[in-house]
Amino acid sequence: MRIFVCLGNVPDTTTKVTFTENNSVFNNTGVQWIINPWDELALTRAMELKEDTGSLVEKVTVITVGTKSAEPTIRKALAIGADDAIRIDAEPTDAYAVAAKLADVLKDEDFGFVMCGIESCDYNGFAVGGMLSEFLNLPSVSAVSGIEVEGEKVSVSRTIDGGKEIMSIDTPFVAIVQKGISIEPRIPAMRGIMMARKKPLNVVEASNAEILTNHKSFELPQPKPPCKMIDPENVKELFDLLQKEAKVI
Amino acid sequence: MFTSIIFILILFGATVIFCRKVRKITWSIKLGKDITINDNVLLRWKRVLFIAIGQQKILQRPIAALLHIFVYAGFIIVNIEMCEILIDGVAGTHRLFSFFGGFYGIMVSIFEFFAVTVMFGCAVFLIRRNILRIKRFWNKEMTLWPRSDANIILITELLLMSAILIMNATDSILQTRPDSHYVQVGSFMISSIIQPIFSGLPFSSLIIIERFCWWFHIIGVLVFLNYIPYSKHFHVFLSFPNVYYSKLRPAGEMANMPSITKEVKIMLEENYSDQDDDNEEVTFGAKTIRDLTWKHLMDAYTCTECGRCTSSCPANITGKKLSPRKIVMDTRDNLEEIADKLFNRKSSEKDNEKNKRTLFDFISAEELWACTTCNACTYECPVNIDPLAIILEMRRYLVLEESAAPGPLNNTFSNIENNGAPWQFSHEDRMEWAKEFMEKQKINVPVMADLFAKGEKSEYLFWVGSAGAFDDRYKNVTRAFVKILTHLGVSYAVLGTEESSTGDVARRAGNEMLFQMQAMMNIEILNGYEVKKIITCDPHAFNTFKNEYPQYNGNYQVIHHTQFLRDQIEAGNLKIKSAIFNEKTITYHDPCYLGRANGEYAAPRKVLDFIPSEKKEMKRNKSNALCCGAGGGQMFKEAEKGDKEIFIERTEEALDTGADIIATACPYCMTMITDGIKYKDKVEEVKNYDIAEIVILSLGI
Repeated sequence: MRIFVCLGNVPDTTTKVTFTENNSVFNNTGVQWIINPWDELALTRAMELKEDTGSLVEKVTVITVGTKSAEPTIRKALAIGADDAIRIDAEPTDAYAVAAKLADVLKDEDFGFVMCGIESCDYNGFAVGGMLSEFLNLPSVSAVSGIEVEGEKVSVSRTIDGGKEIMSIDTPFVAIVQKGISIEPRIPAMRGIMMARKKPLNVVEASNAEILTNHKSFELPQPKPPCKMIDPENVKELFDLLQKEAKVI
Repeated sequence: MFTSIIFILILFGATVIFCRKVRKITWSIKLGKDITINDNVLLRWKRVLFIAIGQQKILQRPIAALLHIFVYAGFIIVNIEMCEILIDGVAGTHRLFSFFGGFYGIMVSIFEFFAVTVMFGCAVFLIRRNILRIKRFWNKEMTLWPRSDANIILITELLLMSAILIMNATDSILQTRPDSHYVQVGSFMISSIIQPIFSGLPFSSLIIIERFCWWFHIIGVLVFLNYIPYSKHFHVFLSFPNVYYSKLRPAGEMANMPSITKEVKIMLEENYSDQDDDNEEVTFGAKTIRDLTWKHLMDAYTCTECGRCTSSCPANITGKKLSPRKIVMDTRDNLEEIADKLFNRKSSEKDNEKNKRTLFDFISAEELWACTTCNACTYECPVNIDPLAIILEMRRYLVLEESAAPGPLNNTFSNIENNGAPWQFSHEDRMEWAKEFMEKQKINVPVMADLFAKGEKSEYLFWVGSAGAFDDRYKNVTRAFVKILTHLGVSYAVLGTEESSTGDVARRAGNEMLFQMQAMMNIEILNGYEVKKIITCDPHAFNTFKNEYPQYNGNYQVIHHTQFLRDQIEAGNLKIKSAIFNEKTITYHDPCYLGRANGEYAAPRKVLDFIPSEKKEMKRNKSNALCCGAGGGQMFKEAEKGDKEIFIERTEEALDTGADIIATACPYCMTMITDGIKYKDKVEEVKNYDIAEIVILSLGI
């Protein structure tokens, strides 16, 4: 069984976000790029499944829509242990275009399931996974926080309000994964880093998917107002401030 | 004639068996990776003279030292008598050296005196081990065999020495009996005391006792000689070469990994030509004894299990599983096991690879991750064994080959890789500590890039460090020191947003790849600005720049802020005016990476000497100081399971001095001691200040 893991190439979470062109374009100068944390957890789970002798998972392929600048991130995924990678050569614009381009390549591939992070930490669109399953005309399960593969059988679990839901599903399908799918992301071992240089990273041309949305402008959150210190004895002042200034009580 | 032949046969047999065993041990040691140690011959001999022959490091514990010197010196001197015994045995003579006349009696009396000192030493050692049960002889790794081994050695030595004394006593009596062929050499000093016990015995019994003791002693010595290589007692031979080949560089320097350098260069330099795959055969770090160097293996055979390392190990003291002595003993046990199989050619090496146990079958990850890399063990070892090197090589294996670091350390690695600090802070915020400060205090903190753009250069680079830039408490130290630099009008600059983690944590946590990437990137920036002198408040950065960056062509004069402050005060440039600490008692906690790792104990104390106040040392100070518990990556992970946190143990010791102020000189120490004070609920009474803060408060600026 082959698993595809979709990778998003996103700015490191400590990045100071700024915009150019009248606040409509993200300024990517000096930005450190990383694997989208949800996708990284999906990849970690995929690797665990591949290493588990009880599962039939034999191959893990990472796939991404991105320009050449995304390749260090893809190499990192290969270093973590993915067997090969596909880069669909296009700027990832909106969710629709990314999902369509992914679907266009994946429709010709044979796989057990595709794993997508539920969101990406840059635009937090929550959309690619769902759209991808529609384009592929495959069932999907969203907010998956556990996947088990026993032989050909796959079961997924979801954390729901006050409990856990476990279901079985026929392959192929799309798993839209939530945090919890694996506990901690892996760091690549030396052997992985060395092998990653030689693993296949296939660049394919992107299909002409429509771009349905465009960024008009971005707004940064207001800087946090300075902290007000109140004497621990002075409960009345705290009460007044919470009521009149903060208006929360 | 007949006895001579028997004697020669026994002597020959014992020597052959001994030599074969020594040959095997030599062969086993050579199973380690080959390294060349041939530098500084003179200094190495000097260390052999002082540390091995002169027992310099044992002297730190005076009682044990005195007793050990009794046994050690006694044993060497008594063995001079062995020459006579050997010649007598071969030639069939009796007391051949008696032709020296009166001098002979004096010599034998001296030998007897030393025989008694050996016996005294052994007896006290036996009492310490078995009756007083000194803790370091009863740690977990001191199972039945190591304990018995020690007792066998001590009892054998007692018996051998007794045999000499009884032999001499009976000999002296026999000399006075008529018809005896015993040479007239008179009585000897000590044995004459026990003579009365035997004086009533008949002639034949005396001869039997005398001869028995003579044979018992020589055969005993030969048996003991052959026991030694199977025992911890082999240190009597190996201490000398082991000290000779021991590390000369500062304790804080970790061994470089050229195999990783190659990988980093392939990654960082697009045109790096050396792309061949000779690294595929390399194991990164140590999994088996074959991945350690022959020096590590020599260490393992040299260890006499005295446990000084373990009894000074902060992890062990606080009940964690780690015991440096166990690491060394396990290495030896694993080596013996593998060497036995290989030496007897029971199996080919290939075959053996599959079945053989590795270091990890003896040493658990929990033990390895408990180490704070404080160098107490390497400092304590009387024969310069380096358990820390083995721990770090095994950590390297866990991280580089298995990516099996504890989870929080993996996050730390990711942070260093992505944002250049062990914490999740943007590198763009690296000047946040200075913002408000510059406005309010009207202080300008020069940034290297700005100076360079103006075509200017500064004399010093002030390395702020990740803690200096991001740790809320420690930012205050950074600001205090910058204020002093400004006050002095020193020509300095900071790297600002171009600064990135030195990689100290990554390296000590086993991630050599990340460390070298950080090192090479930092060196490129530093060399780009033609930096010559670096000042830093962080002993870890200090150690890394001073001792480890030269491995990659980063050569700088590195100054710790306490050294800088001392020089400035001594030169009269900083005048301590305020007597703010006049009524206060200050105790100073030594950071491991300034103290043991780099031998700087004096500078911070000298600075404090200029501050009008009472000074009080903690019980464990300077080279014996207890680690704060944060080094070696501990700062960024949960402590391993134990009875107590190291920082609490250290804070309690500091509080025991009754000090009002605990002075530190390291960002990690500050975090730990500050936490310790909070934990002990002493926030009101006791303050934790960095040396720079104490100076600025005393300057009144």
